[in-house]
Order: sequence, then structure tokens, then C-alpha cells
Amino acid sequence: MGSRRLPARSTRIGSAEPMSATTAARRVAFGPSLGRSAVVIGIGVGMLLAVAVASMLAGTSRIGVGDAVGIVVHRVTGFGPVTWSPAAETIVWELRLPRVVAGMVVGAGLATAGAVFQALLRNPLADPYLIGPAAGASLGAVIALLLPVATVGLLGIGLVQVLAFAGGLLAVIVVLAIARGHAGTPVVTLLLAGYAISSLLSAGVALLIFNSGERLGAVISWLLGSLAGASWPRVGFAAPLIVITFSLLLLRWRSLNALLLGESQAAHVGIDVEREKRILVGLAALSTSAGVAISGTIGFVGLVVPHLVRLAIGPDHRLLLPASMLFGAGLLGLADLGARLAGGIPVGVVTALIGAPFFLWLLRRSVVGTRSSR
Amino acid sequence: MKGNAIDLRGVSAAYGSGRGQRRVLEAIDLEVGRGEMVGLLGANGSGKTTLLGVMAGTIRPTAGRVELFGRPMQAWSRKEVARSVAVLPQSLELPAGFRVSEVVAMGRTPHAASWFGWEAADHRAVADALRDADAESLADRPVSELSGGERQRVLVALALAQEPSVLLLDEPTTHLDVAHAAWLLTSVSRLRQARGITVVMVLHDLVLASMWTPRVVILHAGGIVADGAPDDALRPEVVQRAYGVSVETVVTEEGRRVVVPHVPAGTGVGRGP
Amino acid sequence: MAPRRPIVPLSVALLFLVTACARPADATPAASAAPTASSTASDPAPSTAASATTFPVTVTDDLGRELVLTAEPSRIVSLAPSNTEIVCALDACDRLVGVTDYDDYPPEVADVDDVVIAASVDVELVVATEPDLVLAAGNELTPTSVIEQLDALGLPVLVLYPETLDAVYANIELMGAALGRAPAAADLVAGMEARVGEVVAVVEGAERPLTLYEVFHSEGTTYTAGEGSFLAALLELAGAAPLTGDAQGAIGPEDLVAADPELILLGTASYDPSLADPQAALEAVGRRAGWAELRAVQAGAVVPYLEDIVTTRPGPRIVDGLEALARAIHPDRFR
Repeated sequence: MGSRRLPARSTRIGSAEPMSATTAARRVAFGPSLGRSAVVIGIGVGMLLAVAVASMLAGTSRIGVGDAVGIVVHRVTGFGPVTWSPAAETIVWELRLPRVVAGMVVGAGLATAGAVFQALLRNPLADPYLIGPAAGASLGAVIALLLPVATVGLLGIGLVQVLAFAGGLLAVIVVLAIARGHAGTPVVTLLLAGYAISSLLSAGVALLIFNSGERLGAVISWLLGSLAGASWPRVGFAAPLIVITFSLLLLRWRSLNALLLGESQAAHVGIDVEREKRILVGLAALSTSAGVAISGTIGFVGLVVPHLVRLAIGPDHRLLLPASMLFGAGLLGLADLGARLAGGIPVGVVTALIGAPFFLWLLRRSVVGTRSSR
Repeated sequence: MKGNAIDLRGVSAAYGSGRGQRRVLEAIDLEVGRGEMVGLLGANGSGKTTLLGVMAGTIRPTAGRVELFGRPMQAWSRKEVARSVAVLPQSLELPAGFRVSEVVAMGRTPHAASWFGWEAADHRAVADALRDADAESLADRPVSELSGGERQRVLVALALAQEPSVLLLDEPTTHLDVAHAAWLLTSVSRLRQARGITVVMVLHDLVLASMWTPRVVILHAGGIVADGAPDDALRPEVVQRAYGVSVETVVTEEGRRVVVPHVPAGTGVGRGP
Repeated sequence: MAPRRPIVPLSVALLFLVTACARPADATPAASAAPTASSTASDPAPSTAASATTFPVTVTDDLGRELVLTAEPSRIVSLAPSNTEIVCALDACDRLVGVTDYDDYPPEVADVDDVVIAASVDVELVVATEPDLVLAAGNELTPTSVIEQLDALGLPVLVLYPETLDAVYANIELMGAALGRAPAAADLVAGMEARVGEVVAVVEGAERPLTLYEVFHSEGTTYTAGEGSFLAALLELAGAAPLTGDAQGAIGPEDLVAADPELILLGTASYDPSLADPQAALEAVGRRAGWAELRAVQAGAVVPYLEDIVTTRPGPRIVDGLEALARAIHPDRFR
């Protein structure tokens, strides 16, 4: 590094003590500490497990802990004597477990996507539906619901899910195409295009709702967001997508952190900003669409979870992404448990009832916070 | 030329397209040798920041060639550029929730080797950057608690963490008071000598330019109107043309020549009652 | 209500019955068609053999799905009140292990566990009852997603959705085959057909009033029988000219005034006690915008109709509904 000449004392501003050789050797700590990360991840995993166990035991049919555990063990490993009725096994393995897993998978996908959008838009109150996947998925799903064809049997996951997934992705593609100028894709244009496309697609949905006839109940149920139809094939469709997109996003934690410096400075520290934006938006849209495809448009998870996690552990995405994923999974699982215990209401209603006041509180905090810091 | 850090030949740049296009630079030819310190001057809107952007590779010229260390800019990936060129922006809002050391670590992004963490080399570079930017004591402070001067030191550290060969500064003294400005320019000078960094600095202050930058380039209406030592380039008639103000050259007690703007008769301090 | 013995000879009744059932949209008795069916005990709709069922048996439901029942079902879950009534009418009430909370007939079903609560099917409860036959309802009364879920779980599901009287008979016979109660089913159907024929005979020749059957009224829009619907067919059999709405049965106030029905049957009175009294109902209805000028209102021909349940539940008691309709439309023809 060449010789260092210490500057004259009169020009050194701000340092109180003279420089010593030993301070140069001190290892600077940056990023969340290992201990802190472990605690956060530990709490996340713990919550996830607790919710999973509670959800397996809760339901209109009484099934004991021993039987529930035994059924899972037996189905997974083949071990254990069968001391329960076939009905109990069906309930636990075919009804409750896929629903619990689906809730966690969808919650993880939405929260991860929300964290990514909040970084991209540099706004902690952004959510993954802003650029259209919810509206697109809704249109796809409603079209499928109103088609006079048998809906079962498309790869075992249903025409509704396939069209919802496709609709979500197509909407984002259209939004990205519209917002793309020759100087790249400005964030503001992305948001406005997202708003416009979402409005257009929602109008289409409204028109279809008007003509839905006896299918209205099914349409409304999907739009509210519900995990009641969860099945292993659907979980098998969404889970790999969400796990893979999460992993790919986690690998890009440096880009996400650098983007918080603003697009200009991010470019200066080596981020190919336009390319990263496309990749991040694409992965987040994939994660969101996979979740919405199997559960309908569940709101507030993608917004509130990453925001809360960031308030608790800071914005470094190396920890924010895994923590958002874990807490998104746990919180949606918890919401669905509540939804089931409250008489089978759609989980989207629960997340809205709890999420909206939370959002208002967060908003209020940020407003009051800026005021008091002046 | 091979030995140069930056070569610009016939570079033009514009914003927008079609009829609304605003042409900012017209056929600029400029060579910056390794280790040079260049002051980039010009009136507001003369294209200084755009020229800096072209040198940093973040603005694509509409015509002409840009070469960095003898290689065309198009041949460099964003990451490669960032390993050699660091930009100190005029101001930057640092993202809340991070500590200073974490923000400075972001400067290691172009050097990142492993997917999951920072290596010993990264830790060393950040420590060196903090020390050289006189920001060691700030390392654990949350960025939202920094004063303006402290923030500037963090930005310097961020740039230094990239271990650049070229440092581009965009009006670095604009938000600084006299003492901090002096500190910054001293540090940049020192770093240039210590690390052999090539420095291009956009300055708005003629006095600072004439004091600190051995070579001055003045932009006017998209073209270079002067390029040379301050004595030469900051001749009153050139400055008059580029800025529209008249200047006079003053020799300080130490024997240095400094350019200062004329104060019109009857105004200012020390004239009349 | 005990089935009434036909007053006219069985063959004549069946004559009217044939023409009425063969063309439910045009129930003018035997105006142009010569009698086409023979007077046997079976009806013209396709049926399974009216003899004791031997298992295994393959049955086809209203969605065209085939179900193979290997043994006589003894644990039956019904997801709609009409299905429950059919099961009980075939004397298999004791085999029910799950019903809906809307089921109210016969009274014994109150003791059976509910698996459908507030119109929401609890799949866990359905599975918990370990049924060997699930009777769902079509047209989204049981949501398609639930039917798919039950299918995926391997439960035997029959989906019933009768849109005509013939279809109701077919459902009863289907259930007869599925439950091993074919003879009882045949008898039930025969009895129902006979009663229908009787009604048709009684109202024959009477002038058909343009009749509005109000299923629901809200915000100016009246919901009545849809065009070509089951309810419209019943109204015709009962000797009325039904005023029909669009596909969903909706009719706007302008269309209603333009059509100007002669008779208004308030099916809503079955659920709204304030409409039970004819005078009160007339006043309430007359207050609606544009209704005071309707000739039905001016003539006082607004009848609180209290038998909506049986008139709209496509089960064994549908004939009770038909009889109630006929009595409301042509009271002078009944003693």
C-alpha cells in the first residue's frame, strides 16, 4: 500500500485521540453478528415449529398429539404401529399437513418478495403486489373459475392455479415492458405502470364478477385468499419455486444492500443496476405468483413481515431475507390457524384485519419518527 | 495512449432523444495520466458531472471512444470498473439502520469473492479505508446519527474501500465548511501520493482549484476551453469566457498563485465607507 | 303430508303427466300431441331397473360421473337438504352420519352431526365420519373446489343437480339404486307422478294468470324464476303463466312494470314474518317504487306464500310445493 505519511495535526478533524499503530490492526466488525443472527433465526424456526405443531392438532376433529405425531412419522418413514383410524390419518396427512405447509410456503414467498421490493423501491412500505402480480393472478383465476370445463387434473394442481400463476407472471412482464425506457427502467415509472395495469386487470375481474352467476362464491373466496384447498400437488408446485427463488435472492444480498445506496451509487460500487433490477423483480414476481397461485391474494404479509423484521434486526439482507422468510412462514401459519379456529374464514380476511391496523401503526411511527428527529 | 488512466476521444453525450434531446458534451478530447490530479471546472450546466459519469462508465456517450487504462469502456464489466474506479458523490443519503462499517463494507462489493461473507482481505480493506478517511472512530455509529462532516468522511471511506486506482469526486466540498473542505482536499492529496491514485475532481470553487489541482480543465458549452496548470488555464480571459466573471491572480505569502474573482467597484468589503 | 289418491283414473292422469313431463316448458296438457307413452308404472325418463339392487353397482350422477359402489352404503353424508330428504324418503335415514345445519326435514335429522355449517363444508368433519357415500349438490351449492378435494381424498361422491321434475325423479331412482332401495324409489316416484297429474288435471282449462313469484327483493331489483328454470316449470304446471327474469332470475323495476303481472306470490313471506299477513304484505309491497300501479297490487292479488322451502327444494316434497302453488294460483279450483 506504499508509505503512509501522517497528515499534519492541524488538518485532522474529528478524531479526538492521536492515531496509534494498534488501532489499525483492529478488525472492524460489520454485518450482523453471528450470535445475533443465530438468535433471530432460532426464534424464527422455533415459532415455525410451534405453529406447525399447533396447526396439526387444531381442527374440528379431535386428534391427539400422539396420534398426530405417529401419523406423520409413519407416513414419512414407514415406522410405527398404526393405532389410529384411517380417517384420522387422512385428516392429518391429506388435510392438515398440506395446509400447514402451504401456509408456510406462501408466507415465506410473499415475505421474501416483499423484502426485495422494499429494497428495490427503497421504501419500507412497499409490497410485492405493487407491480401487478396480484391483479394478473386474480384475472387468470377468475377466468378459470368461470370456464365451463372440468377444472381438475391439470398436472394435479388445477386450472385455476395454473392460470393464476401465468396471469401473475404475465402482468409483471407487461409492466416491466411498459416501464422500460432506453435509459433503463426507472422505479417511478415501474410503480405507475404497475398501478395502471393492476387497475385495468382489476376492472376485468370486476366485469367477470358481475357475470359470474352461481360461481360468485367461489370467485370471492379465491380473491379473499384462502388455504382451504391446499393439497400435496399444489404444495409440490409452489414450494420448489419459492425455495429456489429464495435461495437465488439470498445469493444476491450484496446487490440488495448496495441498491439501498441509491441506483447511482450502487452502479459506482459495481452493481449492474438495470440487470439486477430485472433479475430481482423477476425472482420476486416468481415467488409472489407461486404463492398467490395456490392461495389466492393474501394481503399484508408481503408488506408487514419484512418491515417488522427490518425494524427488529436492521436492513442487512444477509439476515433480513432469511428472517423475513421464516417469520413470513410462521406468521401466515399462525394466521391460518386463527382462521380455522374462527370458523373457517378465509385467511386473507385475518391478515387484513390484523395487517391493516399494523400497517397504520407502522405508518404513524414513521411519520412521528421523522417529525421528532428534526 | 497506453499509459493513461483515462482516454476520451471525440466524446459527445446527450440526454433524451429525438427533438427534445439536450446535448451536453461535444467532441471532447481528454487524456488523464496515471497519478494525475485534475480539477474539472465550468459553470453550472456545462457538463462537468456528465463528463465524470462518462469517465465512471455510468453514462454512455452518444459518440466517441472512452478508454480506461488502455481498454475500451465497453470491454469492462460494471464490476471490473468498480474495482478500479470509485466515485465520491456530492452527497448521498445513507440508508438508515446500518452502521458506518457496514456501509463502508458495501464498497467491497466489486471485490467480493465468496457468496456468503467477507474475507480477511475485505476486513483489512475496510479497516484501511476507515483509517485513511479518518473515520475509524465512527465505525460502530449508526449512519443516521452522523453530522454532515462525518458523513463525508464515511463516503470517502466507502470510495477507498473499493481500493480504486481512479477516484472521481463530484463537487466534494459543496456541503462542507472551510475546515472540513480543507481536510478533504488534504486527504485526497495525501492518498493520491500514498496510493498512487488518479484523481479527477469536479470543483465549483476557482480558489480551491487553483490551490489544490496541478491541472485544471475548464468546460464551457460542452467543450474544453482550457486545459493546463492553474497559472495557465485560469487566465482571466479564459475564466471570463467560461464563467462570465472577471478574476485576478493573487500571489500568497507562500508564493503560490491563486485566482480570485473581482469584486465590482463600490461593493464588497474594505471599499469605501 | 300424505300422498293423495288420484281422483281420476290412473291412465288419464298418466296421460297428462306424460305430456307435462315430456315438455316441462310448455305444460299445456295434451294440446297437440297424442298420448305417446304406455300406461305402465315406469316414467319416460331413463331409469335403472326397478328391482332390488345387487352390489356392486355403477351409478351415474348429474355431472355424468360414474361411481362404482361395491357394497350397500351404510354411512351416508349429505351436503344438501334435498339429498337428505331423498335418503329419508327411501327409509334410509338411519344410515346418515353427516348432514347440513340447514336440514330440517324429517325431524330425525336434527340428531345427525352437521358437517356443513353456515353453507361451508368442513372437509375434516366429512372425513372424520368415514362415509362410504357423499351426496353433494351441483351448481356450486357444494363448491367445485370441495368436490375436487373430496375426490382427491378418495371419497365416493355423487353430485345431484335436478333442474326439472324428471330430473328429481331420476335422482330418486339413482339413490334407490345406490342405496339398494330401488323398489321404494320406484314407488315414491310413481306416487309423485300421480300427484302431479292430479294437480295438472285440477287446474286444467283455467285461465293462466301472469304470475310473479318473488324469491327475493332488494334495492329495486326483484329475483324471480329464471327463464326456463325449475321454478318456472312448476308455475306452469300449477296453471300460471310465469313472469320470468334473466338467467339469474333478476328482473328490474321497469321490466316488471312493463310486464304488469296479474298475481304476485311472495315467496319471501316464508322467511319474513312481517309479510305473513295479506293486508300487511299488500301495503308493504305497494310502497315499493312503481309497484302501486301494478294491477296485481290494485286488485289485491298479492299472496303471502309460506311454502317456499318445499317449492324450491328439489327433493321428494317438491310435489307438496307444486300443490301449494296450484292452491295459491287457483284457489277456486280447490275446495
